[in-house]
Amino acid sequence: MSESLDAYRSDGRLTTNGWRAALEDGVLLGQACADCEHVTAAPKAACARCGSRDLSTVQLPEEGTVYSVSRIEVAPAGFDAPYHVGLVTLGDARLTARLSDAAEIGDSVSFQNAVTTPEGPAPRFG
Amino acid sequence: MTDANVVGVGMTAFGVHGSTLPDLFAEAALPALDDAGATADDVDAFYLGNAMGGQIEGESHLAPTLASHIGLAGVPCQRYEDACATSSNAFKNAVRAVEAGQHDVVLVGGVERCSPETGKETDAMTRIFASAAHGAYERPTGLTFPGVFALLTKRHMHEYGTTPEQLAAVAVKNHRHGSLNPRAHFGSETTVDEVLSGPVVADPFRLHDCCPFSDGAAAAVVASADAAETLSGDPVRVAGVGHATDIVPIADKAHPSATQAARDAAGQAYEAAGVGPDDVDVVELHDCFTGAEVLATEALGLVEDGEGGPAAAAGRTSLGGEIPVNPSGGLKAKGHPIGATGVAQVVELTEQLRGDADSRQVEAADVGLAHNLGGDAATTIVSVLESVPRRDSDQRGEVAR
Repeated sequence: MSESLDAYRSDGRLTTNGWRAALEDGVLLGQACADCEHVTAAPKAACARCGSRDLSTVQLPEEGTVYSVSRIEVAPAGFDAPYHVGLVTLGDARLTARLSDAAEIGDSVSFQNAVTTPEGPAPRFG
Repeated sequence: MTDANVVGVGMTAFGVHGSTLPDLFAEAALPALDDAGATADDVDAFYLGNAMGGQIEGESHLAPTLASHIGLAGVPCQRYEDACATSSNAFKNAVRAVEAGQHDVVLVGGVERCSPETGKETDAMTRIFASAAHGAYERPTGLTFPGVFALLTKRHMHEYGTTPEQLAAVAVKNHRHGSLNPRAHFGSETTVDEVLSGPVVADPFRLHDCCPFSDGAAAAVVASADAAETLSGDPVRVAGVGHATDIVPIADKAHPSATQAARDAAGQAYEAAGVGPDDVDVVELHDCFTGAEVLATEALGLVEDGEGGPAAAAGRTSLGGEIPVNPSGGLKAKGHPIGATGVAQVVELTEQLRGDADSRQVEAADVGLAHNLGGDAATTIVSVLESVPRRDSDQRGEVAR
Protein backbone atom coordinates (compact mmCIF):
# COMPACT_ATOMS: atom_id res chain seq x y z
CA MET A 1 0.00 0.00 0.00
CA SER A 2 1.33 3.41 -0.81
CA GLU A 3 1.92 5.88 1.98
CA SER A 4 -0.75 8.13 0.53
CA LEU A 5 -3.38 5.68 1.75
CA ASP A 6 -2.14 5.75 5.35
CA ALA A 7 -4.54 8.56 6.13
CA TYR A 8 -7.40 6.12 5.73
CA ARG A 9 -5.96 3.56 8.14
CA SER A 10 -6.20 3.45 11.89
CA ASP A 11 -3.48 1.61 13.84
CA GLY A 12 -2.37 0.14 10.55
CA ARG A 13 -5.81 -1.25 9.78
CA LEU A 14 -8.44 -0.12 7.27
CA THR A 15 -11.64 0.58 9.20
CA THR A 16 -15.13 1.16 7.86
CA ASN A 17 -14.75 4.88 8.55
CA GLY A 18 -11.49 4.89 6.61
CA TRP A 19 -13.16 3.13 3.70
CA ARG A 20 -15.93 5.77 3.75
CA ALA A 21 -13.45 8.65 3.88
CA ALA A 22 -11.50 7.23 0.94
CA LEU A 23 -14.72 6.72 -1.03
CA GLU A 24 -15.68 10.34 -0.47
CA ASP A 25 -12.22 11.28 -1.81
CA GLY A 26 -12.88 9.20 -4.92
CA VAL A 27 -10.66 6.29 -3.85
CA LEU A 28 -12.01 2.72 -3.77
CA LEU A 29 -10.26 0.73 -1.08
CA GLY A 30 -10.45 -2.93 -0.19
CA GLN A 31 -8.51 -5.60 1.65
CA ALA A 32 -6.54 -8.60 0.44
CA CYS A 33 -6.12 -11.59 2.75
CA ALA A 34 -2.56 -12.91 2.92
CA ASP A 35 -3.77 -16.36 3.98
CA CYS A 36 -6.69 -17.26 1.66
CA GLU A 37 -6.20 -14.54 -0.98
CA HIS A 38 -9.81 -13.35 -0.67
CA VAL A 39 -10.12 -9.75 -1.79
CA THR A 40 -13.01 -7.79 -0.32
CA ALA A 41 -14.49 -4.41 -1.13
CA ALA A 42 -16.08 -4.43 2.33
CA PRO A 43 -13.22 -4.04 4.83
CA LYS A 44 -13.49 -5.84 8.15
CA ALA A 45 -11.41 -6.54 11.24
CA ALA A 46 -10.67 -10.06 9.97
CA CYS A 47 -11.11 -11.95 6.71
CA ALA A 48 -14.74 -13.00 6.24
CA ARG A 49 -13.71 -16.15 4.38
CA CYS A 50 -10.97 -17.53 6.67
CA GLY A 51 -10.76 -15.40 9.82
CA SER A 52 -7.19 -14.24 9.19
CA ARG A 53 -6.16 -10.84 10.52
CA ASP A 54 -3.29 -10.66 8.03
CA LEU A 55 -5.02 -8.20 5.72
CA SER A 56 -3.41 -5.61 3.49
CA THR A 57 -5.13 -2.48 2.27
CA VAL A 58 -5.46 -2.44 -1.49
CA GLN A 59 -6.76 0.05 -4.01
CA LEU A 60 -9.50 -1.65 -6.02
CA PRO A 61 -9.75 -1.51 -9.82
CA GLU A 62 -12.10 1.19 -11.06
CA GLU A 63 -13.25 -0.82 -14.08
CA GLY A 64 -15.51 -3.82 -13.58
CA THR A 65 -18.48 -5.83 -14.80
CA VAL A 66 -22.04 -6.04 -13.55
CA TYR A 67 -22.56 -9.31 -11.59
CA SER A 68 -26.23 -8.60 -10.83
CA VAL A 69 -28.51 -5.57 -10.89
CA SER A 70 -31.98 -4.43 -9.88
CA ARG A 71 -34.04 -1.33 -10.59
CA ILE A 72 -35.46 -0.25 -7.23
CA GLU A 73 -38.87 1.38 -7.62
CA VAL A 74 -40.06 1.26 -4.01
CA ALA A 75 -37.42 3.07 -1.96
CA PRO A 76 -36.72 3.49 1.73
CA ALA A 77 -37.63 6.81 3.32
CA GLY A 78 -35.03 9.39 2.31
CA PHE A 79 -34.31 7.84 -1.12
CA ASP A 80 -35.92 8.85 -4.41
CA ALA A 81 -36.87 5.94 -6.70
CA PRO A 82 -36.29 4.70 -9.27
CA TYR A 83 -32.58 3.94 -9.18
CA HIS A 84 -30.34 0.99 -9.98
CA VAL A 85 -28.33 -1.05 -7.47
CA GLY A 86 -25.83 -3.62 -8.59
CA LEU A 87 -23.19 -6.06 -7.52
CA VAL A 88 -20.07 -5.15 -9.48
CA THR A 89 -17.08 -7.47 -9.98
CA LEU A 90 -13.82 -5.53 -9.61
CA GLY A 91 -10.92 -7.87 -10.28
CA ASP A 92 -11.02 -10.43 -7.46
CA ALA A 93 -13.51 -8.41 -5.36
CA ARG A 94 -17.23 -7.74 -5.57
CA LEU A 95 -18.83 -4.45 -4.53
CA THR A 96 -22.40 -3.27 -3.90
CA ALA A 97 -22.89 -0.05 -5.83
CA ARG A 98 -25.34 2.46 -7.20
CA LEU A 99 -25.43 2.28 -11.01
CA SER A 100 -26.07 5.55 -12.83
CA ASP A 101 -28.05 3.88 -15.63
CA ALA A 102 -29.88 0.67 -16.45
CA ALA A 103 -27.45 -2.17 -17.04
CA GLU A 104 -27.37 -5.86 -17.83
CA ILE A 105 -25.36 -8.57 -16.17
CA GLY A 106 -21.94 -8.67 -17.84
CA ASP A 107 -21.92 -5.00 -18.84
CA SER A 108 -18.67 -3.10 -18.33
CA VAL A 109 -18.92 -0.23 -15.85
CA SER A 110 -16.45 2.17 -14.30
CA PHE A 111 -16.27 4.04 -11.00
CA GLN A 112 -17.62 7.57 -11.22
CA ASN A 113 -17.79 9.03 -7.73
CA ALA A 114 -19.43 8.71 -4.34
CA VAL A 115 -23.13 9.45 -4.15
CA THR A 116 -24.26 11.03 -0.89
CA THR A 117 -27.29 9.42 0.74
CA PRO A 118 -29.07 9.58 4.11
CA GLU A 119 -27.24 6.36 4.99
CA GLY A 120 -23.77 7.64 4.05
CA PRO A 121 -21.67 7.56 0.88
CA ALA A 122 -22.17 4.88 -1.76
CA PRO A 123 -19.94 4.13 -4.75
CA ARG A 124 -21.53 5.04 -8.08
CA PHE A 125 -20.64 3.23 -11.29
CA GLY A 126 -21.72 3.88 -14.84
CA MET B 1 -30.27 -36.40 25.51
CA THR B 2 -34.06 -36.38 25.38
CA ASP B 3 -36.14 -35.73 22.29
CA ALA B 4 -37.88 -32.39 22.02
CA ASN B 5 -41.52 -32.44 20.97
CA VAL B 6 -43.96 -29.76 19.91
CA VAL B 7 -47.03 -30.51 22.03
CA GLY B 8 -49.14 -27.42 21.48
CA VAL B 9 -49.47 -24.68 18.88
CA GLY B 10 -51.43 -21.49 18.34
CA MET B 11 -51.37 -18.48 16.05
CA THR B 12 -53.39 -15.45 15.17
CA ALA B 13 -54.65 -14.77 11.70
CA PHE B 14 -51.90 -12.90 9.84
CA GLY B 15 -52.98 -9.56 8.39
CA VAL B 16 -53.78 -6.22 9.96
CA HIS B 17 -54.23 -5.99 13.72
CA GLY B 18 -54.86 -2.94 15.88
CA SER B 19 -54.08 -4.63 19.17
CA THR B 20 -50.91 -4.11 21.21
CA LEU B 21 -48.02 -6.58 21.00
CA PRO B 22 -48.91 -8.18 24.39
CA ASP B 23 -52.57 -8.61 23.44
CA LEU B 24 -51.65 -9.90 19.98
CA PHE B 25 -49.18 -12.38 21.43
CA ALA B 26 -51.73 -13.63 23.97
CA GLU B 27 -54.03 -14.56 21.07
CA ALA B 28 -51.39 -17.08 19.97
CA ALA B 29 -49.78 -18.10 23.28
CA LEU B 30 -52.88 -18.93 25.30
CA PRO B 31 -54.31 -21.22 22.58
CA ALA B 32 -50.88 -22.90 22.29
CA LEU B 33 -50.86 -23.62 26.04
CA ASP B 34 -54.45 -24.88 25.84
CA ASP B 35 -53.60 -27.08 22.85
CA ALA B 36 -50.73 -28.57 24.85
CA GLY B 37 -52.94 -29.09 27.88
CA ALA B 38 -50.39 -27.04 29.83
CA THR B 39 -50.97 -24.48 32.53
CA ALA B 40 -48.67 -21.58 33.34
CA ASP B 41 -47.19 -23.67 36.16
CA ASP B 42 -46.02 -26.28 33.67
CA VAL B 43 -43.86 -23.79 31.73
CA ASP B 44 -40.20 -23.59 32.74
CA ALA B 45 -38.98 -20.89 30.34
CA PHE B 46 -40.08 -18.49 27.60
CA TYR B 47 -38.19 -17.93 24.34
CA LEU B 48 -39.41 -14.98 22.25
CA GLY B 49 -38.80 -13.84 18.73
CA ASN B 50 -39.37 -10.16 17.95
CA ALA B 51 -37.18 -8.50 15.37
CA MET B 52 -38.06 -4.84 15.12
CA GLY B 53 -40.39 -3.87 17.97
CA GLY B 54 -37.81 -1.34 19.08
CA GLN B 55 -37.78 0.42 15.73
CA ILE B 56 -41.43 0.01 14.79
CA GLU B 57 -43.21 0.49 18.08
CA GLY B 58 -40.52 1.74 20.48
CA GLU B 59 -40.78 -1.50 22.49
CA SER B 60 -37.81 -3.21 24.09
CA HIS B 61 -37.41 -5.72 26.93
CA LEU B 62 -40.45 -7.42 25.47
CA ALA B 63 -40.00 -10.98 26.71
CA PRO B 64 -40.71 -10.31 30.41
CA THR B 65 -43.51 -7.94 29.44
CA LEU B 66 -45.19 -10.61 27.35
CA ALA B 67 -44.53 -13.30 29.97
CA SER B 68 -46.24 -11.19 32.61
CA HIS B 69 -49.17 -10.58 30.25
CA ILE B 70 -49.86 -14.30 29.80
CA GLY B 71 -49.28 -15.52 33.36
CA LEU B 72 -45.66 -16.60 33.06
CA ALA B 73 -44.05 -13.94 35.26
CA GLY B 74 -41.01 -15.35 37.02
CA VAL B 75 -39.78 -17.81 34.38
CA PRO B 76 -36.47 -17.11 32.64
CA CYS B 77 -37.15 -15.19 29.43
CA GLN B 78 -35.01 -14.43 26.42
CA ARG B 79 -35.63 -12.55 23.21
CA TYR B 80 -34.01 -13.34 19.86
CA GLU B 81 -33.39 -11.07 16.88
CA ASP B 82 -32.13 -12.48 13.60
CA ALA B 83 -34.14 -10.47 11.10
CA CYS B 84 -36.72 -12.67 9.39
CA ALA B 85 -35.29 -15.84 11.02
CA THR B 86 -35.94 -14.41 14.48
CA SER B 87 -38.41 -16.87 15.96
CA SER B 88 -36.82 -19.91 14.32
CA ASN B 89 -33.75 -19.08 16.36
CA ALA B 90 -35.93 -18.82 19.46
CA PHE B 91 -37.37 -22.23 18.51
CA LYS B 92 -33.92 -23.71 17.98
CA ASN B 93 -32.75 -22.57 21.38
CA ALA B 94 -35.94 -23.82 23.05
CA VAL B 95 -35.37 -27.21 21.42
CA ARG B 96 -31.71 -27.25 22.47
CA ALA B 97 -32.62 -26.36 26.08
CA VAL B 98 -35.14 -29.21 26.22
CA GLU B 99 -32.79 -31.67 24.53
CA ALA B 100 -30.07 -30.78 27.03
CA GLY B 101 -32.38 -31.31 29.99
CA GLN B 102 -32.12 -27.68 31.00
CA HIS B 103 -35.88 -27.17 30.78
CA ASP B 104 -38.75 -29.67 30.45
CA VAL B 105 -41.44 -27.40 29.01
CA VAL B 106 -40.72 -24.20 27.09
CA LEU B 107 -43.10 -21.72 25.51
CA VAL B 108 -41.62 -20.33 22.30
CA GLY B 109 -43.27 -17.71 20.16
CA GLY B 110 -42.96 -14.68 17.99
CA VAL B 111 -44.90 -11.49 17.49
CA GLU B 112 -44.51 -8.50 15.18
CA ARG B 113 -46.59 -5.72 13.72
CA CYS B 114 -45.42 -4.42 10.32
CA SER B 115 -48.62 -3.20 8.64
CA PRO B 116 -49.50 0.48 8.16
CA GLU B 117 -51.72 0.06 11.23
CA THR B 118 -48.46 0.73 13.14
CA GLY B 119 -48.39 4.27 11.71
CA LYS B 120 -45.41 3.36 9.52
CA GLU B 121 -46.16 3.59 5.82
CA THR B 122 -44.31 1.69 3.08
CA ASP B 123 -41.28 4.00 2.82
CA ALA B 124 -40.71 4.07 6.59
CA MET B 125 -41.15 0.31 6.93
CA THR B 126 -38.91 -0.32 3.90
CA ARG B 127 -36.18 1.66 5.63
CA ILE B 128 -36.67 -0.25 8.91
CA PHE B 129 -36.51 -3.59 7.09
CA ALA B 130 -33.33 -2.41 5.32
CA SER B 131 -31.67 -2.07 8.73
CA ALA B 132 -30.94 -5.81 8.43
CA ALA B 133 -28.59 -5.09 5.51
CA HIS B 134 -24.99 -3.91 6.03
CA GLY B 135 -24.92 -0.34 7.33
CA ALA B 136 -21.85 0.84 5.43
CA TYR B 137 -21.54 -1.43 2.41
CA GLU B 138 -25.19 -1.98 1.42
CA ARG B 139 -27.67 0.50 2.89
CA PRO B 140 -26.11 3.67 1.39
CA THR B 141 -26.73 2.27 -2.11
CA GLY B 142 -30.47 2.33 -1.38
CA LEU B 143 -30.65 -1.44 -1.36
CA THR B 144 -34.01 -2.64 -0.04
CA PHE B 145 -34.98 -6.17 0.95
CA PRO B 146 -36.91 -6.74 -2.24
CA GLY B 147 -33.68 -5.46 -3.83
CA VAL B 148 -31.52 -8.00 -1.97
CA PHE B 149 -33.58 -10.90 -3.27
CA ALA B 150 -33.90 -9.25 -6.66
CA LEU B 151 -30.09 -9.26 -6.98
CA LEU B 152 -29.94 -12.95 -6.02
CA THR B 153 -32.82 -13.84 -8.34
CA LYS B 154 -31.52 -11.84 -11.30
CA ARG B 155 -28.25 -13.71 -10.98
CA HIS B 156 -30.12 -17.02 -10.80
CA MET B 157 -32.07 -16.07 -13.94
CA HIS B 158 -28.76 -15.33 -15.65
CA GLU B 159 -27.17 -18.60 -14.49
CA TYR B 160 -30.09 -20.96 -15.11
CA GLY B 161 -32.59 -19.22 -17.36
CA THR B 162 -35.28 -18.88 -14.70
CA THR B 163 -38.11 -16.78 -16.17
CA PRO B 164 -40.53 -14.16 -14.82
CA GLU B 165 -43.38 -16.55 -15.71
CA GLN B 166 -41.82 -19.23 -13.48
CA LEU B 167 -41.49 -16.71 -10.64
CA ALA B 168 -45.13 -15.77 -11.13
CA ALA B 169 -46.07 -19.45 -10.89
CA VAL B 170 -44.76 -19.43 -7.33
CA ALA B 171 -47.05 -16.53 -6.44
CA VAL B 172 -50.04 -18.19 -8.12
CA LYS B 173 -49.41 -21.44 -6.23
CA ASN B 174 -48.96 -19.78 -2.85
CA HIS B 175 -52.01 -17.58 -3.29
CA ARG B 176 -54.00 -20.72 -4.16
CA HIS B 177 -52.70 -22.44 -1.04
CA GLY B 178 -53.39 -19.32 1.03
CA SER B 179 -56.99 -19.27 -0.18
CA LEU B 180 -57.39 -22.57 1.70
CA ASN B 181 -55.97 -21.12 4.93
CA PRO B 182 -58.39 -19.06 7.03
CA ARG B 183 -55.42 -17.44 8.82
CA ALA B 184 -53.81 -16.13 5.62
CA HIS B 185 -53.34 -12.41 4.99
CA PHE B 186 -54.35 -12.90 1.35
CA GLY B 187 -57.35 -15.16 0.81
CA SER B 188 -57.69 -14.59 -2.92
CA GLU B 189 -56.14 -16.36 -5.88
CA THR B 190 -54.10 -14.64 -8.54
CA THR B 191 -52.96 -15.43 -12.08
CA VAL B 192 -49.65 -15.34 -13.94
CA ASP B 193 -50.97 -12.46 -16.06
CA GLU B 194 -51.98 -10.49 -12.98
CA VAL B 195 -48.57 -11.01 -11.37
CA LEU B 196 -46.74 -10.00 -14.56
CA SER B 197 -48.80 -6.83 -15.00
CA GLY B 198 -48.30 -5.52 -11.46
CA PRO B 199 -46.16 -2.51 -10.58
CA VAL B 200 -42.42 -3.15 -10.23
CA VAL B 201 -41.05 -3.11 -6.67
CA ALA B 202 -37.46 -4.14 -7.48
CA ASP B 203 -37.05 -5.80 -10.85
CA PRO B 204 -37.61 -8.67 -11.52
CA PHE B 205 -40.14 -8.50 -8.67
CA ARG B 206 -43.53 -6.96 -9.13
CA LEU B 207 -46.03 -6.37 -6.36
CA HIS B 208 -47.40 -9.93 -6.33
CA ASP B 209 -43.89 -11.40 -6.24
CA CYS B 210 -43.56 -9.88 -2.76
CA CYS B 211 -44.94 -10.85 0.64
CA PRO B 212 -47.05 -8.25 2.43
CA PHE B 213 -46.37 -6.16 5.54
CA SER B 214 -48.30 -8.20 8.11
CA ASP B 215 -49.15 -8.21 11.79
CA GLY B 216 -49.46 -11.45 13.74
CA ALA B 217 -48.22 -13.84 16.38
CA ALA B 218 -47.48 -17.55 16.66
CA ALA B 219 -46.56 -19.79 19.58
CA ALA B 220 -45.60 -23.37 20.31
CA VAL B 221 -45.03 -25.43 23.44
CA VAL B 222 -41.84 -27.52 23.29
CA ALA B 223 -41.59 -30.41 25.77
CA SER B 224 -39.23 -33.24 26.61
CA ALA B 225 -40.37 -36.80 25.92
CA ASP B 226 -41.24 -37.30 29.61
CA ALA B 227 -43.09 -34.02 29.88
CA ALA B 228 -44.97 -34.73 26.66
CA GLU B 229 -46.27 -37.93 28.27
CA THR B 230 -47.90 -35.91 31.04
CA LEU B 231 -49.46 -33.30 28.77
CA SER B 232 -52.56 -33.96 26.70
CA GLY B 233 -51.44 -32.25 23.47
CA ASP B 234 -50.67 -34.52 20.52
CA PRO B 235 -46.89 -34.40 20.10
CA VAL B 236 -44.83 -33.90 16.95
CA ARG B 237 -41.17 -34.84 17.31
CA VAL B 238 -38.39 -32.36 16.53
CA ALA B 239 -36.06 -34.65 14.62
CA GLY B 240 -33.35 -32.15 13.74
CA VAL B 241 -32.53 -28.45 13.63
CA GLY B 242 -29.72 -26.90 11.60
CA HIS B 243 -28.50 -23.32 11.84
CA ALA B 244 -25.90 -21.68 9.64
CA THR B 245 -24.85 -18.20 8.59
CA ASP B 246 -23.13 -16.74 5.56
CA ILE B 247 -21.03 -13.64 4.98
CA VAL B 248 -22.54 -10.15 5.19
CA PRO B 249 -22.66 -8.27 2.82
CA ILE B 250 -23.98 -10.34 -0.09
CA ALA B 251 -21.28 -9.00 -2.42
CA ASP B 252 -18.72 -10.89 -0.32
CA LYS B 253 -20.50 -14.25 -0.47
CA ALA B 254 -18.71 -16.83 -2.57
CA HIS B 255 -21.81 -17.61 -4.68
CA PRO B 256 -24.71 -15.39 -3.61
CA SER B 257 -27.53 -17.18 -5.49
CA ALA B 258 -26.55 -20.54 -3.95
CA THR B 259 -27.75 -19.33 -0.51
CA GLN B 260 -25.03 -21.41 1.13
CA ALA B 261 -26.34 -20.94 4.68
CA ALA B 262 -29.53 -22.78 3.64
CA ARG B 263 -27.48 -25.64 2.19
CA ASP B 264 -25.39 -25.87 5.37
CA ALA B 265 -28.38 -25.64 7.74
CA ALA B 266 -30.31 -28.21 5.72
CA GLY B 267 -27.35 -30.58 5.77
CA GLN B 268 -27.19 -30.34 9.56
CA ALA B 269 -30.93 -30.85 9.98
CA TYR B 270 -31.09 -33.80 7.58
CA GLU B 271 -28.13 -35.47 9.29
CA ALA B 272 -29.58 -34.98 12.78
CA ALA B 273 -32.94 -36.36 11.63
CA GLY B 274 -31.43 -39.22 9.66
CA VAL B 275 -33.43 -38.27 6.58
CA GLY B 276 -32.79 -36.71 3.20
CA PRO B 277 -34.77 -34.42 0.95
CA ASP B 278 -36.52 -37.37 -0.69
CA ASP B 279 -38.01 -38.34 2.68
CA VAL B 280 -39.68 -34.95 3.23
CA ASP B 281 -43.46 -34.92 2.70
CA VAL B 282 -44.31 -31.26 3.32
CA VAL B 283 -42.27 -28.05 3.37
CA GLU B 284 -42.82 -24.59 4.79
CA LEU B 285 -40.08 -22.36 3.40
CA HIS B 286 -39.10 -18.72 3.34
CA ASP B 287 -40.80 -17.29 0.26
CA CYS B 288 -40.49 -13.60 1.16
CA PHE B 289 -40.27 -13.14 -2.61
CA THR B 290 -41.08 -15.59 -5.36
CA GLY B 291 -37.41 -15.86 -6.28
CA ALA B 292 -36.56 -16.76 -2.69
CA GLU B 293 -38.75 -19.86 -2.97
CA VAL B 294 -36.98 -20.90 -6.16
CA LEU B 295 -33.57 -20.54 -4.50
CA ALA B 296 -34.74 -22.35 -1.36
CA THR B 297 -36.23 -25.39 -3.09
CA GLU B 298 -32.84 -25.89 -4.73
CA ALA B 299 -30.75 -25.20 -1.61
CA LEU B 300 -32.82 -27.70 0.38
CA GLY B 301 -32.23 -30.36 -2.27
CA LEU B 302 -35.93 -30.71 -3.06
CA VAL B 303 -35.14 -30.11 -6.74
CA GLU B 304 -31.90 -29.94 -8.71
CA ASP B 305 -30.05 -26.63 -8.98
CA GLY B 306 -31.67 -24.60 -11.73
CA GLU B 307 -34.94 -26.58 -11.56
CA GLY B 308 -36.68 -24.44 -8.92
CA GLY B 309 -38.50 -22.28 -11.45
CA PRO B 310 -39.54 -25.07 -13.82
CA ALA B 311 -40.64 -27.21 -10.85
CA ALA B 312 -42.98 -24.49 -9.61
CA ALA B 313 -44.39 -23.88 -13.08
CA ALA B 314 -44.98 -27.62 -13.59
CA GLY B 315 -46.88 -27.96 -10.30
CA ARG B 316 -44.29 -30.23 -8.69
CA THR B 317 -44.32 -28.03 -5.54
CA SER B 318 -48.12 -27.55 -5.38
CA LEU B 319 -50.55 -29.29 -3.05
CA GLY B 320 -51.08 -32.62 -4.79
CA GLY B 321 -47.64 -32.39 -6.42
CA GLU B 322 -44.60 -34.50 -5.62
CA ILE B 323 -43.32 -32.22 -2.84
CA PRO B 324 -45.88 -29.67 -1.61
CA VAL B 325 -44.19 -26.39 -0.64
CA ASN B 326 -45.91 -23.79 1.51
CA PRO B 327 -49.37 -25.36 1.89
CA SER B 328 -50.11 -22.52 4.35
CA GLY B 329 -49.69 -20.01 1.53
CA GLY B 330 -46.20 -19.21 2.76
CA LEU B 331 -44.97 -15.74 3.57
CA LYS B 332 -46.28 -14.69 0.16
CA ALA B 333 -49.97 -15.29 0.92
CA LYS B 334 -50.22 -16.22 4.58
CA GLY B 335 -48.21 -13.11 5.44
CA HIS B 336 -44.92 -12.19 7.08
CA PRO B 337 -45.03 -10.56 10.52
CA ILE B 338 -41.25 -10.82 10.76
CA GLY B 339 -40.72 -12.12 14.29
CA ALA B 340 -43.69 -14.51 14.13
CA THR B 341 -42.86 -16.19 10.82
CA GLY B 342 -40.49 -18.94 11.99
CA VAL B 343 -42.79 -20.28 14.68
CA ALA B 344 -45.78 -19.94 12.34
CA GLN B 345 -43.99 -22.40 10.04
CA VAL B 346 -43.75 -24.79 13.01
CA VAL B 347 -47.46 -24.28 13.70
CA GLU B 348 -48.36 -25.21 10.12
CA LEU B 349 -46.08 -28.27 10.09
CA THR B 350 -47.45 -29.45 13.44
CA GLU B 351 -51.00 -29.27 12.09
CA GLN B 352 -49.94 -31.01 8.87
CA LEU B 353 -48.15 -33.82 10.73
CA ARG B 354 -51.10 -34.26 13.08
CA GLY B 355 -53.39 -34.50 10.07
CA ASP B 356 -55.33 -31.43 11.19
CA ALA B 357 -54.73 -29.12 8.22
CA ASP B 358 -58.23 -29.42 6.74
CA SER B 359 -58.52 -28.58 3.05
CA ARG B 360 -54.80 -27.86 2.69
CA GLN B 361 -53.76 -31.18 4.26
CA VAL B 362 -50.87 -32.94 2.55
CA GLU B 363 -51.71 -36.63 2.31
CA ALA B 364 -49.66 -39.04 4.43
CA ALA B 365 -47.47 -36.28 5.82
CA ASP B 366 -44.98 -37.83 8.24
CA VAL B 367 -41.87 -35.69 7.74
CA GLY B 368 -42.07 -31.90 7.57
CA LEU B 369 -39.34 -29.34 6.96
CA ALA B 370 -39.25 -25.64 7.86
CA HIS B 371 -36.75 -23.24 6.27
CA ASN B 372 -36.53 -19.71 7.67
CA LEU B 373 -34.06 -17.18 6.29
CA GLY B 374 -32.90 -13.94 7.89
CA GLY B 375 -31.20 -10.85 6.51
CA ASP B 376 -29.39 -10.84 3.19
CA ALA B 377 -29.47 -14.67 3.08
CA ALA B 378 -27.01 -14.56 5.98
CA THR B 379 -28.96 -16.57 8.56
CA THR B 380 -30.86 -19.76 7.83
CA ILE B 381 -32.48 -22.20 10.24
CA VAL B 382 -33.88 -25.49 8.98
CA SER B 383 -36.01 -27.73 11.20
CA VAL B 384 -37.21 -31.27 10.50
CA LEU B 385 -40.33 -32.41 12.34
CA GLU B 386 -41.79 -35.92 12.36
CA SER B 387 -45.24 -37.23 13.16
CA VAL B 388 -45.77 -39.31 16.29
CA PRO B 389 -48.46 -41.98 16.37
CA ARG B 390 -51.68 -40.65 17.84
CA ARG B 391 -52.20 -40.96 21.56
CA ASP B 392 -55.44 -42.95 21.12
CA SER B 393 -53.32 -45.58 19.35
CA ASP B 394 -50.93 -45.58 22.31
CA GLN B 395 -53.78 -46.13 24.70
CA ARG B 396 -54.79 -49.19 22.76
CA GLY B 397 -51.25 -50.42 23.20
CA GLU B 398 -50.79 -50.82 19.46
CA VAL B 399 -47.86 -48.50 19.04
CA ALA B 400 -44.75 -48.33 21.15
CA ARG B 401 -43.41 -44.84 21.64
